[in-house]
Amino acid sequence: MLLTLDLNDARPLHEQVAGAIRRAIGDGSYAPGDRLPPARDLAQALGINPNTVLRALRDLRDEGLLEFRRGRGVSVAGLAGGRALLVQRARELLEEARKHGYGRDDLIAILEELP
Amino acid sequence: MTARVAAAAWGLLVLAGQILLPLSVRDRLPDPLATHWGPGDRPDGSMPFTVYVVMVVLVWAVPWLGLVVARARALTHRQGRMFWWGVLFATGVFAFGMNVTTVLANLGAPDWRAARLPGWAVLAVIGVALAAAVAAGYLGRGAPDEPVPAGTRPPLLRLRAGQRTVWVGHVANPWLTLFNAVMAAGLAVLAVFSLAGVVPGKPAALILPVLVLVLAVGVLISSVSVRAGDDRVVIQFGPLGWPARRIPLSKIESAWAEVRHPSRVGGWGIRGLPGGVTIMLRGGECLVLGYRSGGQLAISIDDAARGASLINALINERVES
Repeated sequence: MLLTLDLNDARPLHEQVAGAIRRAIGDGSYAPGDRLPPARDLAQALGINPNTVLRALRDLRDEGLLEFRRGRGVSVAGLAGGRALLVQRARELLEEARKHGYGRDDLIAILEELP
Repeated sequence: MTARVAAAAWGLLVLAGQILLPLSVRDRLPDPLATHWGPGDRPDGSMPFTVYVVMVVLVWAVPWLGLVVARARALTHRQGRMFWWGVLFATGVFAFGMNVTTVLANLGAPDWRAARLPGWAVLAVIGVALAAAVAAGYLGRGAPDEPVPAGTRPPLLRLRAGQRTVWVGHVANPWLTLFNAVMAAGLAVLAVFSLAGVVPGKPAALILPVLVLVLAVGVLISSVSVRAGDDRVVIQFGPLGWPARRIPLSKIESAWAEVRHPSRVGGWGIRGLPGGVTIMLRGGECLVLGYRSGGQLAISIDDAARGASLINALINERVES
């Protein structure tokens, strides 16, 4: 599972981690039914507290993307993340736009110009 | 000579030897024959002649057929070829050697209890079988493998400034987990029984440490985690993440993903020779690290291609900066 965190992101860390996991699942790293690496491994790799990762995993479970099973760890529930993934991408696009000096309305205008 | 012809010829040759040897001296063998020797050189087990012949045929035919079935997958790579040829000839030599020593020990004996098998004979058979394994493995090694097999190059990954990217892979073998659970249950039962005094103390004292050791090794290799990020790749074994192996990126030339099977690397567990080790928990996608020194380390792991992409990207970044 490839996880990317933005070092300048001001959002709470657990939201960023949830976003990174959502993107990894959306990119096809893991198919429905596949088991995720243990939260402890994710936390060690990112160099953060395991509780932060667990909080992110719980958020994604509430969203319907993951399911927790006793003794079987965390697995991907389905591709329910389609809209969630789009929201994630849109948020990233907005951040990218702001770096270049464009605002939300500019972005909407660009989207409307597209065929 | 193709592998198929050689394997068939060798298989039939050993099979003929297994049957013809006891038949040719049948009138000089006791019936039943001594087939098992305890400590010292006194026999403690016997078999009727016909059962003996069936057994020596099965002892060779079953592994032979198994190897013939595994041929297609095993012969595609050098390590698989060495292992396959080594096992083929070692098993044949061992099976025929045990047949020869058993027949010689029984030859001329009035009764199976009088058959004597010197201890060195067994050691000699094992020694010759090992020598056959090494020779056959060496002769059957074939051409070296391509350094990076075609079609396994992972997609390029671009790292961006201001971002931190890591990769985590994990694999667990459910069969090993089941095996460990059974071992743990057996261990608990044995411990309770020996504490209660139901099991005699001496065998229990001998078996318990062995079971504990097998369980400990089983737990350690039932799952593997690999993570890549910053300046190193870390491989962690077992549920505790210990033992762990840290490999600095400066030692790695490149990484790629490749499909490997236990038949190619010689089974499950940590397999291979130094410079070509595979940590094999299940057949399928493996992450292969190519060292600058020329060696390789492969780990069976899920999502290996993305891991390889990140490792290559991190190596390139180090070179550029």
